[in-house]
Amino acid sequence: MNNLIFELKNVHFSYLGKFPALSGVDISIQQGEKITVIGANGSGKSTLLHMLDGLIFPDRGTMKAFGEEIKESVFNDENFSRNFRKKVGLVFQNPDVQLFCPTAKEDIIFGPLQLGMEREEIEKRLEELTGTLNLRNLLDRPPHQLSVGEKRKVALASTLIINPDILLLDEPTAGLDPLTTRHIIDLLIQANNSGKTIITSTHDLHIVEEISDVVYVFGQGKTIVKSGKPEEILGDDRLLHDHNLIHIHSHRHKNKTHIHPHSHLHHHIET
Amino acid sequence: MSFFKESVFSDEYASRNGFLQSLDPRIKTATFLLFLIQILFTKNIFILLCLYAVSILLTCFSKIRLGFFLKRTWVFIPLFSLFIAIPALFSIVTPGEPLTTLKIAGIALTITRQGLSGATLFVMRVITSVSFVVLLSITTKHFELLRVLRIFRIPQVFVMTLGMCYRYIFLFVEILENTHLAVKSRVGTRIHHKRGRRIVASNIASLWQRSYQLNEDVYRAMLSRGYNGEPLILNQFKTGLRDYLWLLCALTIFITIR
Repeated sequence: MNNLIFELKNVHFSYLGKFPALSGVDISIQQGEKITVIGANGSGKSTLLHMLDGLIFPDRGTMKAFGEEIKESVFNDENFSRNFRKKVGLVFQNPDVQLFCPTAKEDIIFGPLQLGMEREEIEKRLEELTGTLNLRNLLDRPPHQLSVGEKRKVALASTLIINPDILLLDEPTAGLDPLTTRHIIDLLIQANNSGKTIITSTHDLHIVEEISDVVYVFGQGKTIVKSGKPEEILGDDRLLHDHNLIHIHSHRHKNKTHIHPHSHLHHHIET
Repeated sequence: MSFFKESVFSDEYASRNGFLQSLDPRIKTATFLLFLIQILFTKNIFILLCLYAVSILLTCFSKIRLGFFLKRTWVFIPLFSLFIAIPALFSIVTPGEPLTTLKIAGIALTITRQGLSGATLFVMRVITSVSFVVLLSITTKHFELLRVLRIFRIPQVFVMTLGMCYRYIFLFVEILENTHLAVKSRVGTRIHHKRGRRIVASNIASLWQRSYQLNEDVYRAMLSRGYNGEPLILNQFKTGLRDYLWLLCALTIFITIR
């Protein structure tokens, strides 16, 4: 297929050669898709995103990006490396990792500067992004003076400014208040509408439906146990329960205590 | 811990709208270096007093509380200079024309004119240089000071590493603070010294491990955004008329009292 951007076949990966993180992962992603990867802690979601970003490479199996097999050696070619980094952007789970410069502004413009973007273009994009994400007052502040939500927004801006075709997001809404979460979701949907591929790893099942065409569920065996449309996955309480994604939930509605699995798809209508 | 954080990381004075804060950090650093060279080489106490007066005037024009500034500069003086300067007052170290004699525990100690003059010159030199250095550091944001290093042709990768050290020291200070509180909440304030040592040792080990992990993650985050070993930054310094006037003024002082 022409618009296939990532193709992973039987991919295995382990840290330090002894701690398995991915065990036989098969996944195909097409240009413009919205993909969500869900799973319990330590199930391999972040490892998969790092692999898709060309930061780690399969121990076994094959990974293709844009039709070319990805190995560590292909990044020795400066042109390939630069093009890949322009096309694929990753927002890390821990914003402290991504914000390593003395000020938020320097962090945001770090990527485009390394990738050789024209300075006028960088200034223009910075101006647009700081307006969209409401970051103007934060630009001269050092990252350690920012709140978690502000750090996340700056980290997101530092990736969005590169304007990548494929956006990888590792738990982008973790620890955020509802309004900031909404803002980030709207941004992602807007990016997808403009043709970008969005691949998100999350625990937050509330947001899955909106940001997914396909959902992949990772199990404790560090592999994909099921994939499908969001309504199909979110409606499968047994699957979600077995993989620590829902729990028994008790709350009150109109003076009646109400107990049900904490699922995220129309549970109040069904029960 | 809070004193350490405040003194190292606070940008409060650097964010004020004062005279020194408004200058291009490169010009400010260069002119302050000129003053420091002058302080280092002059043997005239009057010149040192004039330069000290300049530093006090700059403090006032830069919206810095004089009390805060004097406390910050004079606190270091006894530590770094008085201990060295006191023995130099006496004839044992500096022979010369006697001024007065003190008797301490039956030992006669003579203060000499040369000793007094040498000690005063030394203390004045220290206080004036410390004043300029403190003034520079509190009126300039830390990241700007780091960028200024580039004017001395220090490689960008080195400047960037320094910046990252500064950035992550703060993160580790926070981790240490939280670890300390977590230990305190579980073991109370009084613990046996042996156990205390064990806790400190395990904290050091865990911090090392975290820093090692962080180092790897940060490098990946850099790679992900196109880093290939040669960091590039945008030069954002702006030099205006006020900077050139200040440079002219500093050069005039330098040449006049040389």
